[in-house]
Amino acid sequence: MNSLVQRFDTNNALSEIKRTSAIIEEDGDNVSDLMWGSYGGFGNLATGIPKFNIPAVPDPSAFLRLHTDDHTDPSCRIKIQHGTTTLAFRFKGGVIVAVDSRATAGSYIASGTVKKVIEINPYLLGTMAGGAADCQYWETYLGIQCRLHELRNKERISVAAASKYLSNLVYSYKGMGLSMGTMICGWDKTGPQVYYVDSDGTRLKGDLFSVGSGSTFAYGVLDQGHHWDLSDEDAQELGRRSIYAAGHRDAFSGNTINLYHVKEDGWKFIGNYDVSKMHYEGPGDIPGAPGHGYGYSIRTAGKSSADPPTS
Amino acid sequence: MSIMEYNGGSVVAMVGKGCVAIASDLRLGNQALGISSNFQKIFPITDHIYLGLPGLATDVTTLKEQFRYRVNMYTIKEEREIEPEAFAHLVSSTLYERRFGPFFIEPVMAGLTKKPSGEYKPFIAASDLIGCLNFAKDFVVAGTASSKLFGVAEGLWEPGLEPEDLFETISQTLLNAVDRDAYSGWGAVVHVM
Amino acid sequence: MDSSFAITGKGYAIVAADMTVSRSIVKMQYNEDKIKVLGSHLLMAFSGEPGDTVQFAEYVERNIRLAQIRNTYPLPPPSAASWIRRELADSLRSRSPYSVNLLVAGYDLSTHEPKLYWIDYLGTMATVPFAAHGYGSYFALSLLDRYHDPEATVEEGLATLRRCIDEVSKRLVVTPGKFKVKVVDKNGVREVEL
Repeated sequence: MNSLVQRFDTNNALSEIKRTSAIIEEDGDNVSDLMWGSYGGFGNLATGIPKFNIPAVPDPSAFLRLHTDDHTDPSCRIKIQHGTTTLAFRFKGGVIVAVDSRATAGSYIASGTVKKVIEINPYLLGTMAGGAADCQYWETYLGIQCRLHELRNKERISVAAASKYLSNLVYSYKGMGLSMGTMICGWDKTGPQVYYVDSDGTRLKGDLFSVGSGSTFAYGVLDQGHHWDLSDEDAQELGRRSIYAAGHRDAFSGNTINLYHVKEDGWKFIGNYDVSKMHYEGPGDIPGAPGHGYGYSIRTAGKSSADPPTS
Repeated sequence: MSIMEYNGGSVVAMVGKGCVAIASDLRLGNQALGISSNFQKIFPITDHIYLGLPGLATDVTTLKEQFRYRVNMYTIKEEREIEPEAFAHLVSSTLYERRFGPFFIEPVMAGLTKKPSGEYKPFIAASDLIGCLNFAKDFVVAGTASSKLFGVAEGLWEPGLEPEDLFETISQTLLNAVDRDAYSGWGAVVHVM
Repeated sequence: MDSSFAITGKGYAIVAADMTVSRSIVKMQYNEDKIKVLGSHLLMAFSGEPGDTVQFAEYVERNIRLAQIRNTYPLPPPSAASWIRRELADSLRSRSPYSVNLLVAGYDLSTHEPKLYWIDYLGTMATVPFAAHGYGSYFALSLLDRYHDPEATVEEGLATLRRCIDEVSKRLVVTPGKFKVKVVDKNGVREVEL
């Protein structure tokens, strides 16, 4: 009875939506009713596996690649943000997660204030490399599923399970053009954990990962300074210094550093640091910092490799 | 991958009141990888001319050497320093010599021309990679950040700038443009004449 | 893919190059010397297209020697590097260009300074305190930004170089294998074991 009234009531918002979606339905687009309602801004996210419209061409992923692959064709229409440095490592005091904040479209620096750490829930962090939208969407979705797991099982999801969930999910879209390289970091019953998950379906458990175009530069500093018994301050400094290294050498990384520390009681945002400021001044008077700028020319100012004869 | 973007780097030159300025970044890269942060792209030609050479780094060095040779020959034969206008045409013809296998450089020149009255007249010019000259009255830009430099310069430059203000204008133009370009940066140098 | 590194320190320069020659998926040789001694105080590490590398290195070696015979004095490092660069730059626009990347290191007896030049096959030249060619550079350069000291002793310099090689061996998919290391200082050129 109620629905009958609604169908013919021109003033009701719900019926307005019903009618609109009915029109769209006729157009052949398959839009769920839920897209129109308020689900915390997540559209159809909250109702299980979402559905996507797929271009009506024989090979959708080839079609997408044709228009988005700026590596082979710099003049392509759609440029997906890429060029990044992210890292995460485990040590006795938890997990350090550090990322840069640059987004480039070709040589143009489209943004210097991108948030590449996605706060899935108070105990889980995800990093973002590859497609920005892909990472944001699926890690938010993962957050929802993690919360549902908590409600169903009365305990927090393990990092292993959460990362496996994401891995299985992106694997189900393999070949469709998803692009993500992410680290799922957190603290669960088994202690600090870092998992690397990418859109190929690779999922690795490990102590230390770096992902993105600047990852090699980060590894160069990170590997040399990393050991299990690092103090909290030294570990944070290592994360910061490693992202600086990549931000300096890699044209597609830089602007600012976002640093997080995951401990037993959840993650904590340590700070945002400007790469240029790190270069000239360093992070300032904080424990673990060198007390001068990270920059090579700053660190070695006044030094000379000349060896004139002393007489 | 574009040859013009292989090494990165940008140059800008501006006219002021009785003065000129030319500025560049100092980056030398191999595409995304930064190699050197002290790669000079602006060279003094005479006491009154600077030449900026953004583009492919191998040609930066080769052209620098070639212009040094040709300007020295000019000075010896003519028994006088080359004037900015004449030098601009020297640059143009040197580039056009390689019309069918060009140097991948877009030169930017800044200089002061001595008038019969003894005053100095500001002069700036730019050229494309095969020698098409562009004599501008306000500013010229080139390099990987050129599109960004145009935008900023268009907003900041005004006629009749004194040397101090010109320095500030060209510095801010370069710095802000370079901050939006992945292939430029890593230090900068500014010359005011 | 070959890797080479070079660093300067207090009164010296060290050059290191891997010793493998590979063809397709096979290591054809693992004790090749890819560092030419061009003079009493001049070294050159070369890498790139097989064939071009040795041909070009020997061409340079003979011409640097010729310059010394003609002028009595050897070319100082900046002049030698400049000449080598120009040869590559001119070759680039010839019918068959040399595809050779170089690290030219020398000790300048007139300024009592070590000199290091990074030169690629295009003829791009940069004066740098430390340098690397090949995929190794993607790991070593950030490491050297952090650890290189222009006033380090030879022992400290070798330790820093060791770090680079260890890092590359750890992270690079194709481990470069053994490295040949040569030092140039005011006393001339010598080979050292790492």
